[in-house]
Amino acid sequence: MAIENEIRRLRFEHGEMTQAQLAERIGMTRQTVIAIEQNKYAPSLEAAFRIAHAFGAPLESVFRWKAD
Amino acid sequence: MSFREKSAWIALVTYGVVFGGYFLVLFQNWQDSYGRFLSIGLLVGAVIALIVIATVLTIVAALLNPKEANAPADERETLIDLKAERIASYTLSVGVLLMIGALLLGWNPHLVANLLLAALVVSELVKAGAQIAYFRAGA
Repeated sequence: MAIENEIRRLRFEHGEMTQAQLAERIGMTRQTVIAIEQNKYAPSLEAAFRIAHAFGAPLESVFRWKAD
Repeated sequence: MSFREKSAWIALVTYGVVFGGYFLVLFQNWQDSYGRFLSIGLLVGAVIALIVIATVLTIVAALLNPKEANAPADERETLIDLKAERIASYTLSVGVLLMIGALLLGWNPHLVANLLLAALVVSELVKAGAQIAYFRAGA
């Protein structure tokens, strides 16, 4: 997938936040967080901003686009 | 497994078992007049069984994870639902078009009505199967 992310590292750096805790904070299911984290699902722009906001980080430090 | 994936499994199993049984009994006893009479009672029974079994299983699944069951679908779940619905609608459309052709060819209307029902059931099975496949794949 062209969109990659740093969610796993950011969760670790934020007190080992669990996937369930992140899911709760962004209003999604744990399965969706897992799919995003494993690069199986590219979230919407709003969801991406919500995730970045949950880590208090700018969007581009959480997600990056990988050109083909 | 998320609540919505469990719901898809419930739909797959319920439709498969109930309507598998319906068509098995119906076509084992298929005779023009007898079959027509039998299918009405069987269909009512199948629909009632479908509603009761699906409701009980969904309640059990919801009790196991009430928080997720009460939450609205998130964007990935909605996307999966739409993708699966699209595949199911193609399936149903093909079934309906084939049965229109069958009617024009003079097939027994009672048989065509049951084959239309089969197309509806198959489209529901396809939808549930596609949902499960998408949930397993990520999206």
